[in-house]
Amino acid sequence: MAEISKHIIDIVKHRVIWLCISALLLLPGTVALIYSAIHNENHIPLKVGIDYTGGTILQYGVNEDINNSDIAKTRTDLEAAGVETPMIQILHTSANSTAENEKIGNIKNIISIRTKFIGENTDGVNKITEVLSKDYSNPELISVSSVGPTLGNELFKNSLLALTLAFLGIIIYLSIRFKFDYALAAILGIAHDVLFVVGAFSLLGIFYNVQIDGLFITAVLTVVGFSVHDTIVVFDRIRENLRYYSKKMSFGEIVNASVNQTLARSINTSLTTLLTLLALYFFGGVTTKDFVLAMILGIAIGTYSSIFFCSVLVDIWEDRKNNKTPAAKSAAAV
Amino acid sequence: MKNKIIMFWVIVLIVIASIVTIFVKPTKLGLDLVGGSRLVIEAETTKAVPQITQDVMNRLQFAIENRVNKLGVAETVVQQVGEKRLLIEIPNVTDLKEAKAFLGETAQLEFKKEGKGPNGEQIWVETGLTGQDLAKSTLSTDSTGQWVVSLEFNGAGSKKFADLTRDLVGQQMAIFFDGELQSAPVIREPIYGGKAQISGGDSGFEYSEAERMVNLLNAGALPVPAKIVEENTVGPTLGADSIAKSKTAGIIGLSIVMLFMIAYYRLPGLIADIALMIYSVILFALFKAIPVTLTLAGIAGFILSIGMAVDANILIFERTKEELRAGRNLFTAINSGFDRAFTSIFDSNMTTIITCVILYLLGTSIVKGFALTLALGVIVSMFSAITITKNFMHLIFGTGELKYPQLFGLRKSEIGKGFEASETKRENARFGILD
Repeated sequence: MAEISKHIIDIVKHRVIWLCISALLLLPGTVALIYSAIHNENHIPLKVGIDYTGGTILQYGVNEDINNSDIAKTRTDLEAAGVETPMIQILHTSANSTAENEKIGNIKNIISIRTKFIGENTDGVNKITEVLSKDYSNPELISVSSVGPTLGNELFKNSLLALTLAFLGIIIYLSIRFKFDYALAAILGIAHDVLFVVGAFSLLGIFYNVQIDGLFITAVLTVVGFSVHDTIVVFDRIRENLRYYSKKMSFGEIVNASVNQTLARSINTSLTTLLTLLALYFFGGVTTKDFVLAMILGIAIGTYSSIFFCSVLVDIWEDRKNNKTPAAKSAAAV
Repeated sequence: MKNKIIMFWVIVLIVIASIVTIFVKPTKLGLDLVGGSRLVIEAETTKAVPQITQDVMNRLQFAIENRVNKLGVAETVVQQVGEKRLLIEIPNVTDLKEAKAFLGETAQLEFKKEGKGPNGEQIWVETGLTGQDLAKSTLSTDSTGQWVVSLEFNGAGSKKFADLTRDLVGQQMAIFFDGELQSAPVIREPIYGGKAQISGGDSGFEYSEAERMVNLLNAGALPVPAKIVEENTVGPTLGADSIAKSKTAGIIGLSIVMLFMIAYYRLPGLIADIALMIYSVILFALFKAIPVTLTLAGIAGFILSIGMAVDANILIFERTKEELRAGRNLFTAINSGFDRAFTSIFDSNMTTIITCVILYLLGTSIVKGFALTLALGVIVSMFSAITITKNFMHLIFGTGELKYPQLFGLRKSEIGKGFEASETKRENARFGILD
């Protein structure tokens, strides 16, 4: 019994504090979401990128070889000139490409730039042409055309439906393997974590004009996966300790002991995943930065919620039940 | 111990098979990571559709998406460009030829009857019954063993077909596919029930010809013909520069994780690292064998599954350490460590798999890719942690007392003082605990 009652963190005693911290963590993002939903066009609470809205593709022909550092430089230059999240691809014209490309003559490569909607023959186009003229010799504007979204509303609705059903699946599984209380706490934990990440991106959208792209959906799914995984490990320990100590210790003590026993594992697991993600964030490519950031935030909050949110919920609910039972008994006695 | 050695060789065999698969099979990467082919097609007006409206474009896009999906080309992008063009991006250039052939066909199915032209010559005239009236099409053979395309009309189509055949008794009815006469049978009696067959005329259909027609008919006709106006290969949408950097970053990240595992868990950490490498090899081979088109979304699933695989090892080692602190001998500690960690690994992975299955069945494009790689990753990670790590631990540490606690990152003074391990009698028997 020496180890099991030795605590690093007392979860149960300060449970009100932990819930308050959760509330504080979620508040700014929630406010930002509501604010954006009211003020944004289309009432979408996040700033959405061209994957969702569609945009404009500009194609420039250049007569020189292009390597990765050229693309990187062009990207930085375009962003510096105020072009939002440009998507740069290099096209190689194939031998039997069409008359439209052939009329331009000796072009080695085509630089394709996708960005938000800009009209033909406008300042927006001129701005991009100016940047490219600095980076390459005589780039020739071949075409400006608007493109539709790659991710329609369909995908969004579909994903939400799939996610809702997945939640149901999780509730059923956890209710069978644990108890309904635990299942509900795990789902609330997921909601807690997703709300935090989505809220954070709503804030980033307001203050830094960060837009979400197709990858954001994936990042959120990753957060969901991690969140529930992390929570179950703690719940598993509670379940195990209940089996051995339920006669000797109160439920609160068991929750405390379980959280503390799994603490090293919780921190180490998050740390290893975060290490990879931090490396990707600091040394990785620009285009995936926001995606990685969403996962970093999600995994950090997922670790917090499994320790300080889900376990606390289970403890509070158990207390409620126990308080009700004696009351019911005494009422019956009278 | 004999079982352990057999298991070891089984693992070795799996690894060899995986490495061979990796070398033999091509890697399929998505548009975002390697790029592919970019085709631009332009809608053309016809007599029936004199103007390209937005509605026509929507129908064209839908039909094209349908077709590309039928081809089994994963992760394709179809979007409208300007007023009457569609931009289609297809990963894996090798599929291009087939894809182009597929896109080029409008798959217009028309039923025509005999009529007189302006100068009295015999021509085929439209009847209003087209491929739009079809419910589905299947491949079958007729009484002589020839391949035929069976058609099944929808409600409205059945009625039209019945009316038409009633009017045409004793005359010829011609079936055109993309403007080409397929067959022109003489109608002997009205056909009710909404079923028809196309035979390949006098020469009959080749199997592949009939199969292609069935596929095209089921994917739906294009509302208007479309021609390919641009055809290029494209670089990755995420930018070649970004991907090159992320590759290095990923390697740095994973190396730090491996070093961390060794620093914190010592010898077991090293074993876990080896198990992780084997895990990656097996998973990568699986991706190639299925094959899975890897996009960044898929790689996110992969990273998460690596996280979960590391987690499984961490769970096991933490439990094993607890058992060792309680003074158990090596064999018992490793066994009970695995056994106690197993329920949490199993339950957390099961929820992940349930989520993945639902996301895969209901989700679209990126969501599907993510779900598939994550589910595969989790399944392989269970195998890796439970089988590979355990096997190596037993083979390396063997049985007996723990002589060198520092191998586990434990101090001698910790042993025997720690947590009082509790188990039921049944568990005692299973773990081989005699105390």
